[in-house]
Amino acid sequence: MILAAEQENVLRIHWDEFTFGLIAFLVILAVVYKMWPRLTKALDERADQIEGGIARAQKAEAEADEIRQQYKEKLEEAHREYAQELEKAKEQRAAIIAEAREEAQVEARRIIEAAQAQIEADRQQAFVQLRGEIGALSTELATRIVGETLGDDAARSRVVDRFLEELERSEGSTQAEVR
Amino acid sequence: MGADVSVVAASEPGCHIFNDFGCGFEAPGVSLFFPTPWVDFGLPGTSGLNKYYLVAVVALLVAAAFWYFTTRNAKVVPSRGQSMAELLVGFLRDQVTRTAIGKEGDRYLPLMVTLFIFIFSMNVMGLIPGLQLPVTSNLAFPAVLAIIVFLLWNVIGIRHHGFGGHFKARLVPSGVPGWILPIVVPIEALSNFVIRPGTHMIRLFATMFAGHLLLALFAAAGFYMFNPTSPMGPIFGAISVGYSGLALVGFLLFTAFELFIMAVQAYVFVLLSSIYIGEALEGAH
Repeated sequence: MILAAEQENVLRIHWDEFTFGLIAFLVILAVVYKMWPRLTKALDERADQIEGGIARAQKAEAEADEIRQQYKEKLEEAHREYAQELEKAKEQRAAIIAEAREEAQVEARRIIEAAQAQIEADRQQAFVQLRGEIGALSTELATRIVGETLGDDAARSRVVDRFLEELERSEGSTQAEVR
Repeated sequence: MGADVSVVAASEPGCHIFNDFGCGFEAPGVSLFFPTPWVDFGLPGTSGLNKYYLVAVVALLVAAAFWYFTTRNAKVVPSRGQSMAELLVGFLRDQVTRTAIGKEGDRYLPLMVTLFIFIFSMNVMGLIPGLQLPVTSNLAFPAVLAIIVFLLWNVIGIRHHGFGGHFKARLVPSGVPGWILPIVVPIEALSNFVIRPGTHMIRLFATMFAGHLLLALFAAAGFYMFNPTSPMGPIFGAISVGYSGLALVGFLLFTAFELFIMAVQAYVFVLLSSIYIGEALEGAH
């Protein structure tokens, strides 16, 4: 240290100024240290509050996330149920249509069969009736033509039957030819 | 001490450029930094009660009041003053102690805040009208602070690494071959224990000294060159006013630059203090 009190030496250090500087420094240091806890306390409190705020925000966010997840699941479930219902309805519709068609077919077949049976019955009846009438008519015709009464009923019916059988035979062959 | 009467401007009254009695410009000299003491203690090695005391008291009050009033009502929601104090503390913590020392440097944050506000207020006294004398242009004041930091550096080193450990770390660089140690150890001793605290104080002192001298030169030159009523005619009078205007512009520019330098030097002093303390904490490296 240059303590020489040389005239106008810019690097001089006067010990009284030095001491005064030391005192001034210590005074400011004391003030700073005295006030320091107040500032750090405020800063710590602020940090706490900010951290608390962040924690609250995170919690709220987590809750919101959860609720959103729930809603999403519910929505998906609803969609799924709707799709299922739709599928079921489609199936039901198809089943109903199929059933109706089945019934209609059965009914139609039944009607057709009934008609056929009716036709067959009618034909049979007509055939039987015709057979009787043709017998009587031909007998009558033959009686008139021949002028002779065919003795007994038995002989008459035998003649008629033979005639009809011949007729049927020839009819069957002509039918076959037509087809 | 400082026996000659010194004023900022040229010594001879009425001495201006373009005068007919041929007086030259006398630049302000180092006598600026030796104000006449109002009370002489009459002791060897003392300066007596001079302007430095007055300005230092003002700087002390400014620094202490700044800190007191900005942190007095520290709240969670800060006021303007508190925000300023927090800004300063945050800056010194993030830019100085955390980078130079690390997390444990927070313990030394009050010291760094003290150094910064004290040095900056002492520096800025050079720009306050009426005072216009940076306290740090007197080597005694930077020396106090540099010596405190130097002592703290040793105390921390010895406390953390023991007496031998501290001095071994400071004097014997690791990885140096043994035969070269007789040369290295004296160099390290000189470098770490003499030159370093010396440069620490002189860096601050010299920039403030030179800056103040420069401002005084511009002021004195502007005053010297202002001579509108020159006996050599109105043309020379107008020229003198032009010269004086240039000096004023230079003065204003350098005043703004000085303010920047004052803040930078306070920052540099604090940063170096932190680096030294961090080094002492770290020990050998």
